[in-house]
Amino acid sequence: MALSFMQRKPDSGLGNIHSSKSAPGRNIDYVLLFAQGALAIIGLFVIYSASHSKTPPGGASPYDFFFVTRQEIFLIAAVLVMVVVMAFDYDWWKDHARFLYGATLMLLTLITLMNILQVRGTETVLSFDIGPLNIQPAEMAKFTTLLMVASYLSEDNSDDLPYHRFIIGLMLVGAPTALIIVQPDLGSASVLIAMVMGIMLVAGAKARYIAMITLLSIATVGAAVVTRVVNEYQMKRFSAFFDQNSKDVAMQDVLYQGRNAIRALAIGGITGKGWLQGPITNAPKDIPVQWADFPFSAVGEQFGLVGCGILIGLYAIVLLRIWRIAHLSRDLLGTYLCVGVFSMLLWQVFQNIAMTLGIMPITGLPLPFISYGGSGIVTFFALMGLVQNVHMRRYR
Amino acid sequence: MAVDKRSARLGVLATVSLLLIGLLGARLWFLQGVKSEEYKATVAAAKTREVFVAPERGRIFDADGRVLADNQRILTVTIDWAVLRKAKKKDRLALLERLSGPLQTPIDDLMRRYEPCYNMPKPCTKKQQFDALLPLPLKEDVDEPTVSFLKERSEDYPGVDVVEQYKRVYPYAPLASHVIGFTGPITKETLESYLAQGYKRNERVGQFGVESSMERELHGTWGRRVYEVDASGSIVRELSDQRVEPIAGFDVQLSVDLDIQQYAEQALQTELRNRRNLPIDLAQLDSAPHNPCDIKTNCKTRVLQKTNPDGSKTDYPEWVQHKAPAGSVVVENHETGQIVAMASYPTFDNRWMESGIDGTKYKQLFPSKNADGTPIDPDLSILVNRAVQGNYNLGSTIKPFISWSALHSGLITAGTVWTDEGTYRLESIPENECQDKGGKARCVFKNATNKRTNLPSAYGNVTVSDALAVSSDTFFYHLGEQFWQLSEDLPDQRSLLKEDLERFGFGSKSGIQLPYEWKGRIPDDAVKAALIKKKVLAPGEVPRLVVGDNVQVAIGQGLMAATPLQLTNAYATIANGGFLLQPTIVKAIWAPLTPDASPAVADLEAGTLRKSFDKPTIRDALEMPPEVLEPIREGLHRVIRGPGVPGHGTTGETLFKGFPVDIAGKTGTAQGAASLPWNDSSAFGAFGRTAEMPYTVVSYLEKSGYGSKAAAPVTKCMFLALSGDVVPDPVFVSDPLDLNSTVPAAQMQLADPTCLGIVGGGDLGRG
Repeated sequence: MALSFMQRKPDSGLGNIHSSKSAPGRNIDYVLLFAQGALAIIGLFVIYSASHSKTPPGGASPYDFFFVTRQEIFLIAAVLVMVVVMAFDYDWWKDHARFLYGATLMLLTLITLMNILQVRGTETVLSFDIGPLNIQPAEMAKFTTLLMVASYLSEDNSDDLPYHRFIIGLMLVGAPTALIIVQPDLGSASVLIAMVMGIMLVAGAKARYIAMITLLSIATVGAAVVTRVVNEYQMKRFSAFFDQNSKDVAMQDVLYQGRNAIRALAIGGITGKGWLQGPITNAPKDIPVQWADFPFSAVGEQFGLVGCGILIGLYAIVLLRIWRIAHLSRDLLGTYLCVGVFSMLLWQVFQNIAMTLGIMPITGLPLPFISYGGSGIVTFFALMGLVQNVHMRRYR
Repeated sequence: MAVDKRSARLGVLATVSLLLIGLLGARLWFLQGVKSEEYKATVAAAKTREVFVAPERGRIFDADGRVLADNQRILTVTIDWAVLRKAKKKDRLALLERLSGPLQTPIDDLMRRYEPCYNMPKPCTKKQQFDALLPLPLKEDVDEPTVSFLKERSEDYPGVDVVEQYKRVYPYAPLASHVIGFTGPITKETLESYLAQGYKRNERVGQFGVESSMERELHGTWGRRVYEVDASGSIVRELSDQRVEPIAGFDVQLSVDLDIQQYAEQALQTELRNRRNLPIDLAQLDSAPHNPCDIKTNCKTRVLQKTNPDGSKTDYPEWVQHKAPAGSVVVENHETGQIVAMASYPTFDNRWMESGIDGTKYKQLFPSKNADGTPIDPDLSILVNRAVQGNYNLGSTIKPFISWSALHSGLITAGTVWTDEGTYRLESIPENECQDKGGKARCVFKNATNKRTNLPSAYGNVTVSDALAVSSDTFFYHLGEQFWQLSEDLPDQRSLLKEDLERFGFGSKSGIQLPYEWKGRIPDDAVKAALIKKKVLAPGEVPRLVVGDNVQVAIGQGLMAATPLQLTNAYATIANGGFLLQPTIVKAIWAPLTPDASPAVADLEAGTLRKSFDKPTIRDALEMPPEVLEPIREGLHRVIRGPGVPGHGTTGETLFKGFPVDIAGKTGTAQGAASLPWNDSSAFGAFGRTAEMPYTVVSYLEKSGYGSKAAAPVTKCMFLALSGDVVPDPVFVSDPLDLNSTVPAAQMQLADPTCLGIVGGGDLGRG
C-alpha cells in the first residue's frame, strides 16, 4: 500500500502550514476536524427535521426544539471532553489505561449487580445518573477498553502476534463485552467486537484467530439469546429481519418502522423532497425515535441520493484521515488506537445505515456524530480526540 | 520490514471498509435511484385517504313547480371501518356499547351493521351491505344534540364521525306516487351495472316511476376529497388539487298538474268506492249487476249459472255487488303529448319506501302473498301503475279506430248503411261448420243485451256515425269480417286491421318515461299460439287466428288488449286530427339546484332550463281527411250530445245532459271472466273538441260495470275540473306519514261528488 498522497509530509504542499514538529497543538488534522464538525452540525439539522413535528406519546404539542437544544449541549460537552483527551500525550493515557479499564469493569459489574438484585424493580439499568450527568459505562468501555487493548498489544513492539498475547488481548475485550451483553446491550457489545477484530487484524492475527473471534461472538450472542439475557424488544427487532412477513402484531410494528424508514429514504429519490418537506419524516408520527435510530432516513427523504452521498462522503473522509493517521503514527500504540477507532466508527456507521437500508437487522446503534444522544456523541468525540492525539504527537 | 507489514494489514482494513461502503452505496442507489418511483407510489397510496361526497339527487317538480320529490339533509353517525377492525372484540363491543346509549339503538343492531351475522341464529346468510370504501353508517337521521354530545366526547368515540346525507322526501305524498315512484337499495342483479356507472354500493337508486326512469338525470356525480393522512390515519391536510366537487342531479319537471292529479285520484277512488258500495235495491235496476231470470223457465231459474266440479249447476244470485277493485285515469294534452294527470288505484304512499320500516311491516302494507301462501289477488296489487302496465280489453272504446281503418281503406264511406238486426252471423263460414248447426266455429255474434228485454238491441239501418253513437256491435262485427276477407286476399298474411291499429300506437310501447310499460297486444297467429302455449287460452283452440278473433277485435274484446295510456294516446290522435304523439310525463329538465320560491314550491323563474319537452314529438301522421275524420268525430260527439237512432238513445246522452264542456267520447264495456255482468270493466275515452280544451281523458275502472256507469262519470268530472267549472280542492303539503298506519295510503275522496252522479256528498263511512 504505497499511496503516496496518504503519506505526504504534513508540512509540504497544501498541508498544515502552521504545523510544527515541536508543538503538538499545531499538528491538529484540520481536514479530519472539519469533516467531524460538519457531520456534527449536519446532525443538529437532521435531529431537528426528524423530531420537531413529532408529538411525544400522550403529549399535546410537538417536540419542536427539545432534542436539538439538548444535542447542542451534548456537543459542547463532547468538545470539552475531546480537548481534554487531546491535551494529554497518549502515552499518558496509556499509563493510566489500567486504572481506567479497571474502573470501567467495576462500574459494569456494579450495573450488572444492580440488575440482578433488581434495584430499580424490573427496569433495566444501563447508566448511572449523577445529577445532570448520565454515565453509561458501556460507552465508557469503548474508550477505556480500546486504550487497554492497544496498550497491551503494543508492549511487544512486534509485527507478529503471539498466541498468548492474542488470548489475553481477547480476554481484555471479552470481559467488558460479556458484562455489556448481560446488561443487555448487544449493540455496544458488537462495537467492542468490531474494535478488537480490527486491532487484532492489524496487530498480525492469523486468519484463524479472526475466525475464532467471529465464532466466539456468535456463540456469546447465541448464549445470551438462549439464556434470555437479551430482552424481548431487542430480540424482536433482531428477529424481525429474518421474518419479514410476520403474523405477530408486535413484530409487524417493528417491521413497519423499518419499512417506513426505507420508504422515507426511497421516496427522496435523487435530490430529495427538500428541507422539512418530507411527507414521512416531517409528519407528526411515523418513524418512532427517528432522530436517534433512523436519522439517515431523514437525510435520504429530504436530501435524496445527493444528501446521502455527501454524508457517506464525509464519513469516508473521516475514515480515510483516521486510516492515514494510523499509517503516520510514530509507534504501534498510535496505530492500534487509530485502527480501533476506525473499526468502531466503520462498524457503527455501516450497521446504522445498513439497517436503515434494510440490509441489516435493526439494532439500537446510533449513527456516529449525527444521531441524537449524549453518551454516543461524547464517546465518539473522545475517540476522535485520541486520533488527533496520535496525529499531533507523531513526530516524537 | 515492520512498517510494510503494518501497511499491508491496514490495506486489508481499507479493503474491508471500501467493500462495506460500496455495499451501502449500491443499496442506496438501488433504493433512491431505481426503486424511488415505485416507493413514491406506495407511499402516496398509503398516505392519502379518499372521501367520497354524495351528490344531491335532482328534485322532481310538477308542471307548476311544486316539489314532488325533495331532499332532506340528515345527519348520519358513521364510524371508520379500520377502527372497528383493528380493535379487539372486547374493545369493539365496549365502544359500540358506549354509542348505543346516545344513538338509542340496541348494541346488537349496531354490531350487525359491522358483522351482519352477529348474535343471529345459525345458519345466517346475511351479507355485508355497506360499502367498505365509505365510513360505516351506524345511525341515520340523528338530531343535533346527539351530534354535539358525541363531538364533545370525541376521545371516547374514536373513528366516529357525523356526515351529512340526503333523505328523499315526498312533500305531497301520496299524490302521484305511481308516477313519481320511489328509491331503494341497489338490487343484486343491477349492482354490477350501477358500480360500472360510478355508483356506490350503499346508494339508493330509483326503483319505480320517474325516480327510476329518470335515474340518469336525477342521480348526479359523486365528488371526492383526498386527504393526506399520517401513519395513525388522522387527517393532516386536504390535497385540494385533487378535489372533485359533487355535481347535483338535474331537476326534473313533470307535465303533471298536481291539482288535476289530485282531482283525478279523488274522482277515481270515490267512484270505485261508489260502485263497490251500491245498495242492493231492486228499484235501482242499473245500480248493481243483474242476473236476469230465464224466460225459458218462466223465471224459475237465472240466466247465469255456474258449473260445479261434479257437473251440477248452481244459479248465480240475482244481484252481485261490483268488485270495483282498481282503476286508472289518464289526462293527456293532445296538442303536446304531455300527460297532465295519471292516476292508478290501488295507490300507496311512496314515503313508506323511505321510512326505514322493517320487512314485516312492509309485507303487511304491500303483501305479495296471502296468509296461506297463495299469491294475492292481482286485482289488489298496489305497486303496479295500471295506466301503463294494465292489460285491458278496450271494449267499444276501440270502435273509432276500427272506423278510421274502414273509412281510410275505402271499405266503407260515411254514407254506407248497414242494417243492424241485433245479431250477426259470419258470412265467410259455411253454415254447416257453425256451432249452432253442429260445427265447431262460433258464427253468431250479438249486440249488448238490453236489460229490460233481455234480448240483443237491434238498431236498424245505421251509418258509421250512428254505429258509434249507439255502439252497434254488429256494424263492427261486419267490418271485422270484411277486414278478414280483405286480408285473406293479401300476400304474406298481412292483416290490414292490425297494421292500422299499430298506427294508433297499439301493440307497442308508447315510450313514456315510466318503467315497466306494457306494450299491449294485437292478436295475430303468433300471439294466439303463444297464449295457448301459456295456457291462457284453452288447449282446444285453433293455434292461429280465425275470422271470429278478428270479429272480436273489431269490438275490442277477445285477444286485443292495451294500456289506458295507449288508449288515451290513440284518442288524442283523433282529437288532434291524425298526429300520433309521443306521450311524455316529463315537461322539462332543469339545471341542478333550482331554488325554492316558497316551501315545497320551486322558483322556476330562477332556474336554468336544460331541456324542454313542450314541443310535441310526432311519431306518425295518420291520414285523416275530413271525409274520414268527420263521421268519426260526429259519432263520438253524438255519444255525448245525442241523438241516437230512432228508438235508441246514445250511451252518454243522459249522463252528459246539459254538460258545459264541448267534448266527444266513447264508452266501452270490456267483458270479463265468463262474461258475467259483474265482471264487466268500464272504460271511457273522450277529448275536448275546442282549442281551449286540448285534453284527452281516459278512465278505466276494473269490474265496475258498463262504460257509461263508472268510467264515463269519472271522465265527466275530469273535464269539469279541466274547464274550471268545478274548482278542485287546493293541494296542500301532506301531514307526516303515520308509521302506525296499516294501509298503504290514506283514502281520498271528491269534496263534491255530484258530477259522478252521487247525491249527498261522498261519505267515506258509507257502506
